[in-house]
Amino acid sequence: MDKKITDILEGLVIFIIILVLIQTFLEDLSVLLAWTWSARRILLITGFFFDLFFTVEFLTRTYAAFSRGDLKKYLGQGLGWIDFLASVPLLVLSSGPGMVMVLSGTGLLFSSGGILNILKIVKTVRIARILRLLRVLKIFKQIKNVNSIMAQRHLMKITATSVSTLVLTLFFFNLFAGAVGMPQAGGILEEQYRVTMESFRSFRQDGGTAQAAAASRHQPDLLVIKEGETTLYSRYDNDYYHRHFGPGEYAYLEEGGVGFFFDLRRVQALEARNNLMYFTLILILTAVLLLFYSPHFALTVSDPIHVMNRGMEEKDYNFEVKIDPRFSEDGVFRLARNYNQVFLPMKDRQNREAETTAEDLQLKMADIKDLFS
Amino acid sequence: MNDELTKAAQFVNRLLANPALGALPPLQKEEQILQFLQVNRQALFPTLSSPQFFPGYTWENITFIMEKALMETVNQNLVPQLQGLVENSLDLSFIAFLRQQNVSTDAVKKDLIRFLGELLSHPSVRREFSGSYNSLVYHVTDKYVEQVFERKEYVHFELTKVQRLRMGKEEVKNLIRVSLLLKPAVYLFSVPGTAQQEIQKSVSQPQFTDRVLHSLTDKLRCLPPEVLASAVHANLSFLDNQQLEATARISAIINNLCRNYRPDMPRDRGADTMEKSWLSVARKNHRFYGFDVKVLDEFYKIAGENNW
Repeated sequence: MDKKITDILEGLVIFIIILVLIQTFLEDLSVLLAWTWSARRILLITGFFFDLFFTVEFLTRTYAAFSRGDLKKYLGQGLGWIDFLASVPLLVLSSGPGMVMVLSGTGLLFSSGGILNILKIVKTVRIARILRLLRVLKIFKQIKNVNSIMAQRHLMKITATSVSTLVLTLFFFNLFAGAVGMPQAGGILEEQYRVTMESFRSFRQDGGTAQAAAASRHQPDLLVIKEGETTLYSRYDNDYYHRHFGPGEYAYLEEGGVGFFFDLRRVQALEARNNLMYFTLILILTAVLLLFYSPHFALTVSDPIHVMNRGMEEKDYNFEVKIDPRFSEDGVFRLARNYNQVFLPMKDRQNREAETTAEDLQLKMADIKDLFS
Repeated sequence: MNDELTKAAQFVNRLLANPALGALPPLQKEEQILQFLQVNRQALFPTLSSPQFFPGYTWENITFIMEKALMETVNQNLVPQLQGLVENSLDLSFIAFLRQQNVSTDAVKKDLIRFLGELLSHPSVRREFSGSYNSLVYHVTDKYVEQVFERKEYVHFELTKVQRLRMGKEEVKNLIRVSLLLKPAVYLFSVPGTAQQEIQKSVSQPQFTDRVLHSLTDKLRCLPPEVLASAVHANLSFLDNQQLEATARISAIINNLCRNYRPDMPRDRGADTMEKSWLSVARKNHRFYGFDVKVLDEFYKIAGENNW
């Protein structure tokens, strides 16, 4: 493909990665700050399209790598595994089901049965969302530092190792915690909801429906109690529900012909808080690596090598490597000391005696082509 | 011949304006072009001997015209600039300290400018003049002598106690500057047509420099013999003669330091400064070049402390 088009596409990918990071942050922040459903709906839909975009990007890169015969290289050394984890599972497990929920309205959750099923779906969606944080790595992957490919690779390696370890540990730990039945917010809430329903039933038996409904106000997650078409209790008016609740943000349970609607937003806010914490942690971790580790690597490895390399390649480049006394016993600086004390003086003596060649001159034949035209 | 010279001038003007040479001082540009013509002889000859340029000319004739045109073109800027430097920046009051009598410095400057003009008409002198010229333009002598007088260490001792210069630091700076300007004068007495490396070997022979000093004293009577000796002895090895004047030893080092001086050259991250790097290499090679290693050590410290 034309290099110019490739550069434009790579630039577009970087731009979209930045957008998706902002979108990721806003999506969790919107849950935490209880933004209106219409605003959160937009964020959910854009999230789906971003996931779709990155899935297409991954498939395109995979196809291109396969065509070139270096698929293994792309998936491993080329960090294609990050492209994969930050796209396909998210589309399939997170934004895809989320989009179905948005499109189908409330139907999916009602038909899904008990609260545990609802929470499991929501939970899987939420856990998978952690993988979005791997996209921070995609920015590093796109940056092309031609001056020091080695520095770029080392920084990428250490960042990818740290971030993916953190993200994958969180991901698999949450899956494991769900599988072995560790105490979770959903399970604890389910118990609370059962108690609420039981209390309503006993209050109703003892003091009638009105008293039971009044007592239910003290359970903050209880939204609506319905019996057939009759609403026995509602915490807010219909307009409020319409504006603030989306699919998957409430649970429906039924007992003895009475239906109970519970608010799931508090659980989701807790998870959004955790996600924001992980997101911030990863951003700070990468920023620290970029701002502190990267200059250290440059100072102690790539810069001295670059100076020595130029000194060996260019006749007129005679700068010494600056040796930081703190690291003077490092292998690189011991080599640099030999470069300074042995190679450069030898080169200087040789230059003094050697005849000038065309390569030594700053003016090349190619520079004067226009003079003869 | 004039037509050819005009053609050659047009050609060298375009070469001089080439961005590849953009940041180089004039004499280094000239040297680059001369070497360029030499190393690309086979590629250039068919085109330069075509009807468009110099039909029927041999390569020797072409290079002769080119060198002449190049020298004239470079001189158009170099000579007035050098004249300005001598007239406005050079203070020759140190002569009074050496001769213990007042002299007309204007007359000396005129003589000096005339002699520099003569020097610059000689190709082998021009090749060695780059260091002197750069040292003056970039005030390299001034900054080191300034520090030498502040530190009052080895170099200061050599100047004031061994060479017994009874004068202030400004006078010492100017004495070294004149010494630097006249250092390449030894090449004036080299045999024409000899290879530059051979010339360099012969001019560093004491017998040769003695003869040169004698001739120079006749040519430049306006200048005290101490100044001429300093300039001529700047071409000798300190290892062969430990009695060389401190100003000669300093001139030799500064001239070499400034030979390819490029203060505009960007320094890579991780690289040491240009002057410190050069001085460090020169310390290792002091025997090869015949430098006084103690002067180099002090200059190296100065460069390091001042981030030069």
